Amino acid sequence: MEPVVFVNVWRFLIVGILMHLWIIGDFMVSTFTLILLLLMLTSLRWRFSLSIWWVCVDVFICFLYFPYTTISYYGLALPIFELSKKGKGLFSLLLFGSLFITSESTSILFWFYLQALFFGVFSYIALKNQAAFQLEIDEQRKARNELEQVKMELLVASQTASEQAELMERYRISRELHDHLGHDLTGASLALQAYEYVQDPNEAEKVLQEVKNRLERSTKNLRETVHNMTPIIEIGVERLESIMQHFSQIEVQYHKSGNMLTVPAYIWGLLESCLKEALTNVARHSNATKVEIDLQVTKSIVRLSIQDNGTEKKNSQTGSGLRSLQMRSRSIGGSLSITSRESGYLLVCVIPLEKGRDG
Amino acid sequence: MTIFTFALKRSFSNKTNLLFLTLFPIACIFFPKGEEWPFLPYGYQYFGIIILFIGIRLATIILEDRAKGLVKRLAVAPISHFQYLSQNLLAYSIILIVQCVLVVYGGVLFGQELYQPGWLLLLYISFSFSSLAMALAWISIYRNKDVSFLMYMAIIFIVVMLGGIIIPVEIFPDLLKRLAVIFPTYWLGQGINWVAFGEEILDFLLINGVLWLYTVVFMIIGSIRKIQ
Repeated sequence: MEPVVFVNVWRFLIVGILMHLWIIGDFMVSTFTLILLLLMLTSLRWRFSLSIWWVCVDVFICFLYFPYTTISYYGLALPIFELSKKGKGLFSLLLFGSLFITSESTSILFWFYLQALFFGVFSYIALKNQAAFQLEIDEQRKARNELEQVKMELLVASQTASEQAELMERYRISRELHDHLGHDLTGASLALQAYEYVQDPNEAEKVLQEVKNRLERSTKNLRETVHNMTPIIEIGVERLESIMQHFSQIEVQYHKSGNMLTVPAYIWGLLESCLKEALTNVARHSNATKVEIDLQVTKSIVRLSIQDNGTEKKNSQTGSGLRSLQMRSRSIGGSLSITSRESGYLLVCVIPLEKGRDG
Repeated sequence: MTIFTFALKRSFSNKTNLLFLTLFPIACIFFPKGEEWPFLPYGYQYFGIIILFIGIRLATIILEDRAKGLVKRLAVAPISHFQYLSQNLLAYSIILIVQCVLVVYGGVLFGQELYQPGWLLLLYISFSFSSLAMALAWISIYRNKDVSFLMYMAIIFIVVMLGGIIIPVEIFPDLLKRLAVIFPTYWLGQGINWVAFGEEILDFLLINGVLWLYTVVFMIIGSIRKIQ
């Protein structure tokens, strides 16, 4: 419950005390209007947030009734409370001065004022703390929101970077082929054309030798270029298969279908993370004995499904790893779903392939 | 003023309301006079209870609006909560004022001994406003129409008993006599006594002033906008 509820309850309680004092006391009926006026101000404070100057109205009303009823002295507890609630507790000490002019029992009145002052200061601190917490929560929320935004931007950036890298690589391959193979093959082709016109057998022999040399050199170059360009680390579907092979805790059944070459590198990255996360989860949280992995590539989508046969039902709160994967797949237009069935958990990741990218 | 006209029409749309709003007040005129107490004819003493009932019947319409989600739709309409509330209340107060006029001057025509009908009318009008405000404050704590109405009937009974409308305050023990002052009905009773015997106009102004203070207090509490 918020502190302001207690503040309002306290205000109305004080009005209740004043009514009680009025009932047990021997006062004129007309002095009941004092309590009604104070009640009116209290309800106004409950509905609206009044400025600090409204305490002057309370003090003035109480002051008007000083000659007629001693309840007006008790009524001063309300302005004392309001002042200290706004952090102006020192001003409220001025109202303690009324203790010197009353005929009512001063000691009780003093303690009554003091508890009003005390609760007012307490409310002041509680409300101030609440406002500070609220501010902090807002800032935290804002920071978290910004972080999510940055994360999304990073995901998009990584996708673009992977596309850029692929283009650069293509460019490099075409340059290598042009530089190393192009010259020799063109030379060989020209020499062959010249061979047809050469009359002298010795000369023809020399030209043929030249063609041979060039072809040999270009074959060697081609082999070298291909060798140089072949990556040492595994990529794409091979990487996935290697992860499955190294996962020795549980038996893995694997099927694949479709043309794996149409899947771009950034999708392989995501599929690899999905596979790793799923296998780790199976090993850590489930009592499964078998995992079925199915990878399908069609013209428009890639679908990776991982199904275990675990029977253990745990609270299905998606962990942060899977949540981040869900977000990553959403950011590239796909989806990742985890369903818990009788026969175990099923994770399905579907990513669309962009058409016409290669063209 | 669309809401105002609509609120007027709606108040008479239902049969129970029609009974409360027309038959009961008219019936009040024909009640006989008491022997020693009350000082005005019975109908005029008990008209206060009817005003309380009419207040809650009318205010329940606002509660119905809230339950139906109409207040939520109004919140997005180009109309303020203040306009909605004030036009509704204006319609209800006009109904109440018309009834007060009907009862008081109907009684005068019928030949009831009302001493000072003008002041009596003023008293009834002040009390009508208090009753309406009380009902408004009451429904602001409830979600269910029937529960709020039944609970309020119980409250009316207590308020009327302790406030000295059904039983004269004078026969109460001292503590209850003091307690009675808290209830608006006490002030209505005092007002009726003043109409019968009163001389000092200040006393009557005080009585009306207190009723108006009650009206303001309950109106402040009841005017809160509750969207559910």
